[in-house]
Amino acid sequence: MNFAERMLHIDRRIIFLMIGLCTLIPLLYPVGLAIKVSPEVKSVYDYIEALPEGSVFLLSLDFDPASKPELYPQAVALLHHAFKKNLRVIGMTLWLPGTGMASEVVSRVAREEGKVSGKDYVFLGWSPGASSVIINMGQDLYKAFPTDYNNQPTTELPVLKGVQSLRDVAYVISLAAGSTGIETWYVFGKDKYKFELGGGCTGVIAPGLYPLLRSGQINGLIGGLRGAAEYEVLIGRKGNAVAGMDAQSATHFAIILLVILCNVFYLLTRTSKNRAEQSLR
Amino acid sequence: MTFLRRQLPLLITLVTGLLFAAQYYIPHPSSELMLTSVSKWLQIIGGFALILGVTSLFRIHAVKIRRKEPGWGYSFVLYAGMIGTIVIGLWHGGKETTDGITTTFGWIYTFMMVPLQGTMFAILAFFIASAAYRSFRARSREAAVLLIAAIIVMMGRVPLGEHLIPISGDITQWILNVLNASVRRAILIGVSLGAVALSLKIMFGVERAYLGGGKE
Repeated sequence: MNFAERMLHIDRRIIFLMIGLCTLIPLLYPVGLAIKVSPEVKSVYDYIEALPEGSVFLLSLDFDPASKPELYPQAVALLHHAFKKNLRVIGMTLWLPGTGMASEVVSRVAREEGKVSGKDYVFLGWSPGASSVIINMGQDLYKAFPTDYNNQPTTELPVLKGVQSLRDVAYVISLAAGSTGIETWYVFGKDKYKFELGGGCTGVIAPGLYPLLRSGQINGLIGGLRGAAEYEVLIGRKGNAVAGMDAQSATHFAIILLVILCNVFYLLTRTSKNRAEQSLR
Repeated sequence: MTFLRRQLPLLITLVTGLLFAAQYYIPHPSSELMLTSVSKWLQIIGGFALILGVTSLFRIHAVKIRRKEPGWGYSFVLYAGMIGTIVIGLWHGGKETTDGITTTFGWIYTFMMVPLQGTMFAILAFFIASAAYRSFRARSREAAVLLIAAIIVMMGRVPLGEHLIPISGDITQWILNVLNASVRRAILIGVSLGAVALSLKIMFGVERAYLGGGKE
């Protein structure tokens, strides 16, 4: 086995160590490279920025703790922006395992912005059925959620005054980690009840949502940790996402380096094999 | 019995399928009222489906434990975890906090479920890097194109890439917005047409797999 072949079969623990260090070192010693804002993230920001005070903004946190590193910073940034703009915020989730986390992020950011539950915002919680929940909310929000997450009757909440269904919501954003999320909100919600829809998602599902973006089915898309970092830059509140971008830069470059090296060794091995075969003939 | 087991479900499927396909195009108040009621039914059925799922999970793992099949210890851990969480969850009324104080149920969620799920997902980064090194090779012209596109997108999605090669961000945007979006759209259209065809087959009783097995 020559050097190239040996390198192709390198112990995977060396790769794990490399990725671990590439994540850890930039977190301990951040560089803080400039983050360019993409048009799809700017669209979401601009739409919220243009909403009049008191408009109803629904944030559906459709993810579980597995996607917390990417989607939690997006939720924090969006909630800060919405509360700063004095929008009436409705929080909810279509993912049962994410309910506790969603409740925590909405109430925490609201507390930081000095907002009151029931008056400035409401967290509706989770209800079974996903697509049928959206349809039910589109027909009658109070039938879909007779009470909020704190068991307060939704009909009595000042924050929902004048809101009968999804038709009265100015802007919906779904932060999605999978198929029950942005697409579900478009197919069963926006298409029939005609509200504006934006999306936030994990990096891995972002490419699959570009057709919706290009056709105007969603007006903007915040993709992964990078999207969250862009949003933090836009609202001028740098948080966990911006802090994580250096680590992401380093790991992306580590993977690029590994892929290039593996291809160099692969070509060297193939060339030497070809030469050996020719000499045998 | 055949009527109850076969004909009746087929009839219900046909009638409701046609009714709700038509409902979308009829914005009459009575049509909307019907949709409101049925969507509420669906939510209730969704709740029962959850109970069904949990019961089925319990049964499968009970069999594994009883027969002492390989890995039955994991089934036991699952049992203990589920029963413990359900009992504690019911005790606290499903609340993570009460008057600002974290409940035991909230503690389990925050300090066990959240970090465990986060860890499982984070491990992916290490496996992706290892897998990329072992299998992302330019074995053919098509693979080489994929490889170059992947490297450009990986560069263009991070600040360091845009700092070193400023144009990588714009090329990434073009790849995602034009090449990727058009291919994804083609796949979506194909999948959607397939879903429409399957729905029609189910509605008209051509596809009956959902009725399950059993004698006629």
